Amino acid sequence: MSNFNLYSRGDRIFGWINAALIALVVVSTLYPFIYIFSASISSGAAVTAGRVTLLPVDVTLAAYERVLSDKMFWTAYANTFFYTIAGTITSLLIMIPGAYALSRRRLRGRMIFNLAIAFTLWFNAGMIPFFLNFRDLGLLDSRTGIVVGFAVTAFNVILLRNFFEAVPKSFEEAAKMDGANELQLLWKVFIPLSRPAIVTVALFCVVMRWNGYFWAMVLLRGEDKIPLQVYLKKIIVDLSASDEFAGSLLTSQFSFETVSAAIMVASIIPVLLIYPYAQRYFTKGILLGGVKE
Amino acid sequence: MSEVELSEVVKRYGVMEVVHGISLTIEPGEFVVLVGPSGCGKSTTLRMVAGLEDISSGTVMIGGREVSQVAPKDRDVAMVFQNYALYPHLDVAENIAFGLRVRHEKRKVIKQAVAEAAEILGLTEYLKRKPADLSGGQRQRVAMGRAIVRRPRVFLFDEPLSNLDAKLRTHMRAEIKRLHQRMQSTSIYVTHDQVEAMTLADRIVIMNGGRIEQVGSPMEVFLEPANTFVASFIGSPPMNLLDATIEIGDAGPLARIKGADTAPLPIPDAFRDQAAAGQRVKLGIRPELMRVDADPSTPGLACQIELVEPLGAEALLHGEVGRQPIIAKVETLSGVRDFAAVRWLGVDLSGLHVFDAGSGRSLKTASA
Repeated sequence: MSNFNLYSRGDRIFGWINAALIALVVVSTLYPFIYIFSASISSGAAVTAGRVTLLPVDVTLAAYERVLSDKMFWTAYANTFFYTIAGTITSLLIMIPGAYALSRRRLRGRMIFNLAIAFTLWFNAGMIPFFLNFRDLGLLDSRTGIVVGFAVTAFNVILLRNFFEAVPKSFEEAAKMDGANELQLLWKVFIPLSRPAIVTVALFCVVMRWNGYFWAMVLLRGEDKIPLQVYLKKIIVDLSASDEFAGSLLTSQFSFETVSAAIMVASIIPVLLIYPYAQRYFTKGILLGGVKE
Repeated sequence: MSEVELSEVVKRYGVMEVVHGISLTIEPGEFVVLVGPSGCGKSTTLRMVAGLEDISSGTVMIGGREVSQVAPKDRDVAMVFQNYALYPHLDVAENIAFGLRVRHEKRKVIKQAVAEAAEILGLTEYLKRKPADLSGGQRQRVAMGRAIVRRPRVFLFDEPLSNLDAKLRTHMRAEIKRLHQRMQSTSIYVTHDQVEAMTLADRIVIMNGGRIEQVGSPMEVFLEPANTFVASFIGSPPMNLLDATIEIGDAGPLARIKGADTAPLPIPDAFRDQAAAGQRVKLGIRPELMRVDADPSTPGLACQIELVEPLGAEALLHGEVGRQPIIAKVETLSGVRDFAAVRWLGVDLSGLHVFDAGSGRSLKTASA
């Protein structure tokens, strides 16, 4: 039996360098998660003193008790769920038909529409005009404004459009011969065939909505409407010097840092639960077998 | 009333004209095959009948109704695509039922129609499978099921067997023929495979460069090719076309093969009226009409055999006649012999064809 090495020395060195770089990326990505989780179950005094670097110190659930007992936290959590679900559904309802239309070659002015969409990838009107636009439309301090105002992103439209364009033309032609109209074509053929792209875009929307902070902070006034990220900011900035936290430091049970960390952990959990489910759609294997390439 | 009628149909892409005013009439229940080399316009013509391509000028009639501007779904035609075009997210039953579903047929009607189609095509046990779980032949049968379930006026087939291997292609060819005999439906079938064309067609339409070269029954186009293109396209191996010149002998016109050390061959009666002394022609000889056991005193060709391709019951002899390439197809079962040593190929004179060397047209056709 021959005993030769399949990989050259250069290949092996390349492999080791790759492995080292990947390890670096993994560590730098995972470390913040681990640190935040450790901080959330450590005592406030330990975190404030900088004694928590990786593993928890003086383990306590005081920060979680503080967070979960705050009615404001649950309101913000519910708001975030609402913005995420309603926002994602709205986004898909607008972007899917839009992207489908843009993918049709017979659409009049198709190039201009596509250019206009692509233009917004690199340029936008800026924060002040954006704010004034919302104000003039009566969408300030409005849940509708948050849901509808950010429903369309050029990147996602282009991603969907490209996927629709890549669907083999024979599917469309077969459906037309079978008697399908445009709506049936979209609903019964293109959407099922594009499920990987749609799930990907839905996940982008979910993550964007879930992490939505800046415009929610700028546009929303009432505390009953703010999402989790804005609530987190309030905890970090507004309450850091409050008497409550100053007092708690004395008891070393929790600090604003541990409370912030607990909120962050709580806010990450839903995304962590969704991601493994959505990830399996990231391959476009669903097209396999339908047409002979 | 004809079922499908094309009148002066033209297709242009920008300034490029790819179909040059073709006219064709197809009768009810007829199986017509459009055949030709790649780029000859056969698929484009089929797609114009389907409504998947606009026509640039001319008219398309189906069932006596002009449909040139009618949407595909309203033409009462069904199409089987080369790449199946099965919906991968639907199972076999749902694929077959798709056309009825989008037309809002009643559930009971759909169920019955799917069951009937599956029965005809032998798909009953696969109804719950997805296309990815089927073989190529089964997928193509599902594609046919999707077409027949609607009972359309006209079936269109766009190279439906091209993606199958040779064995399956032969099997599916027979199935399509059986299906047509059973349903007696008007069918237009596009292929570049002349064997499919010959075996399936009631009539063959041979196309080249966006034009129809000849329309006829399989045996007509084989036995009486209208021009050198048809002669060289139909038949495997194709007809030998040898450069020759007409001489007038005592018994009538003869064809002297260029460069050949052979007596000129008398041409059949049907070609004599159009043959003139000194006329340059192409002499057509089917490879099947040559014999290796002929006596050199009989009409034939002196040849050099350079290559022998045994095919089992037959062999192809590749050689030269007066520096012109020639192929003979000979039987091998009657006795194995050294084909490479053959120096004389006997020719069945009744099977000779004569074409004008300039226009390529058959001298027989010109006289008709």
